[in-house]
Amino acid sequence: MQKLKGSAGFARQFLILLVIGLGALLFTFHNEAFYQRPLAKVEQVHNEKAVKQTDEFKNVDWQTKQHLRIKMLNGKYRGQVLTVTNTYSYSGAMDQRYRVGNEIFLTRVHEKNGELHAAIAGYKRDTVIVFLVWLVILLLLLMMRRQGSLALLSVIVNTILFMLAIELDLKMQSSHVLLIFGVLALIFTVISLVMILGFTRRMLATLGATVFGTIAAMLISLLVFNLTQERGIYYESMQYVTQVPRPLFLAETLLGSLGAVMDESSDIVATIFELKQLDPAATKRQLFLAGRSVGQSIMGPLVNVLFLIFMADTFTSSLLYLKNGNSWGYTFSMNMCLGTVQSLISGIGIVLAIPIASALAALLLGKKAKA
Amino acid sequence: MSTITALGLVLMILMILVGGKQGWTSFLSLLLNFGFLYFAIVLIAFHVPPLFVTLTTGTIILAVTIFMGEDDLKTTVTAFYASLIVMGILLLLIIGVEHWAMVQGFGPEDSEDLEGMSILIGISYLKVAVTTTILSTLGAIAEAAMAVAAGLTEVLNAHPDISTAQIMKSGMAIGGQIIGTTFNTLFFGFFGGFLTLFIWFAGLHYSFGTIMNNKIFVAEMIMVLTSFIGVLLTVPITAWIMGLRKKTIVDSFSENK
Repeated sequence: MQKLKGSAGFARQFLILLVIGLGALLFTFHNEAFYQRPLAKVEQVHNEKAVKQTDEFKNVDWQTKQHLRIKMLNGKYRGQVLTVTNTYSYSGAMDQRYRVGNEIFLTRVHEKNGELHAAIAGYKRDTVIVFLVWLVILLLLLMMRRQGSLALLSVIVNTILFMLAIELDLKMQSSHVLLIFGVLALIFTVISLVMILGFTRRMLATLGATVFGTIAAMLISLLVFNLTQERGIYYESMQYVTQVPRPLFLAETLLGSLGAVMDESSDIVATIFELKQLDPAATKRQLFLAGRSVGQSIMGPLVNVLFLIFMADTFTSSLLYLKNGNSWGYTFSMNMCLGTVQSLISGIGIVLAIPIASALAALLLGKKAKA
Repeated sequence: MSTITALGLVLMILMILVGGKQGWTSFLSLLLNFGFLYFAIVLIAFHVPPLFVTLTTGTIILAVTIFMGEDDLKTTVTAFYASLIVMGILLLLIIGVEHWAMVQGFGPEDSEDLEGMSILIGISYLKVAVTTTILSTLGAIAEAAMAVAAGLTEVLNAHPDISTAQIMKSGMAIGGQIIGTTFNTLFFGFFGGFLTLFIWFAGLHYSFGTIMNNKIFVAEMIMVLTSFIGVLLTVPITAWIMGLRKKTIVDSFSENK
């Protein structure tokens, strides 16, 4: 696509990225020495006959027992061969079928009567992540060069900040969850916008719209929470909770909607600034209406982006609930209600950002209408 | 009144106040997408093949998001074709990756939530994982396709005799402008939801190696990264479709004039 200018440089960059990627993949195929946990490779598989299982809800499944000959890849037993057993089911919710060539982590490796024994702890998956990360970077840099590198840099910086905030949250023993992640959200916004727009008036208008839009959405939602006494919100259905769930849920919602509100505000502000350049005499009202019309056409798709991200995660456990004889309503409450609340609050933020972004940019740029 | 109903009403009123008729359509599209998504789960629970459910629900969700999000047919038809192609390519990639990574179903961290449940339900969780991953990327694909298609429609309107190569170039330029903010939307959308999981990992001092091989973490990362890949693929494919449909679109401009 960029073949017209600098095709030699392009080919060189492509080759460099390709070599780095292949190198990284090769490394993950042979990085067993870097793992503290014992790793082994499956060399031979012997499957027993599948056994039919029926549960109290008349679900029929098949379980198969496997005997795996595995070879230790690291640690002091490196090179030794042993046999472990594994049971997998057709549905495979908590188990999986192993094949020749798979690499697996082991636990409880011990010697008894001169023979090695161990249990399977899990499957080695790091190669997949490395492959996908490499694919994203390759596409990003080859297709969009400068903007691509900036987008990548912004993701990396945000990831680092995110990890720092989690460390901080643990240090404070989760006493100020909302404060920590609220400040983090503000820092995220400033950094992302400075990286995309530079330190300009456009960036300040977008920042203002994002911050006010998000705060307004949170306040309105908290008011609704209060008035309805949080009826039908089941915090106990939150996954992986190790701290008080309610502030964590609010922090998740705040962070989750941030990107979308930023996305929309920057589109609106960009349009108004462009319009102002084309027509320096534009009034505040004209600019405001132009911004609103951009916002109207992107709010629907944006709300849907977040909705699908929030809800897709609940798919697997909802299915399990339905197959365990629960009603549709109970399945919704226990799995999807938090995702729905998150989608709705984010939606409110996305909608509120439209008038706020339009008004801010119009006030900053527009001339007073001459009466 | 339950909180969800109240929040839904607030959102509906705000959408209508700010967006008028368009706002109402957007709210409706959200409701419809929710209905189709829930229906997809019910269908899979009734043992309809997950791949079939993925393709039909995916197509419907793309159609709802795109055609109810924007009125201009020149933009929407291009965006719809492009996002269908991207969904196809992504489906192949995701099927490959899910079989490779084996991240279906639940991880050891879910054990507590699963207590008392029968997990042998006779439906392949691997196929369900493909469905979940595809569905989570669709909104982003639809949004990117619409942004690029809308930009290119404007370019075609201003320069009707532009060459296909130039359409591609403009498409990539528009893509470059949206990629930063789109990645942000996806990054925060996904990472907001990972907060509790990451606090779990950090609190229990999981090592880097453990996290990189953790079933749940890898499953979530596959969702984020395939969404990124989907958005990236959407840009040139939308431009390509726009090039193919150039004649139709330019003709419809001159009819309007």
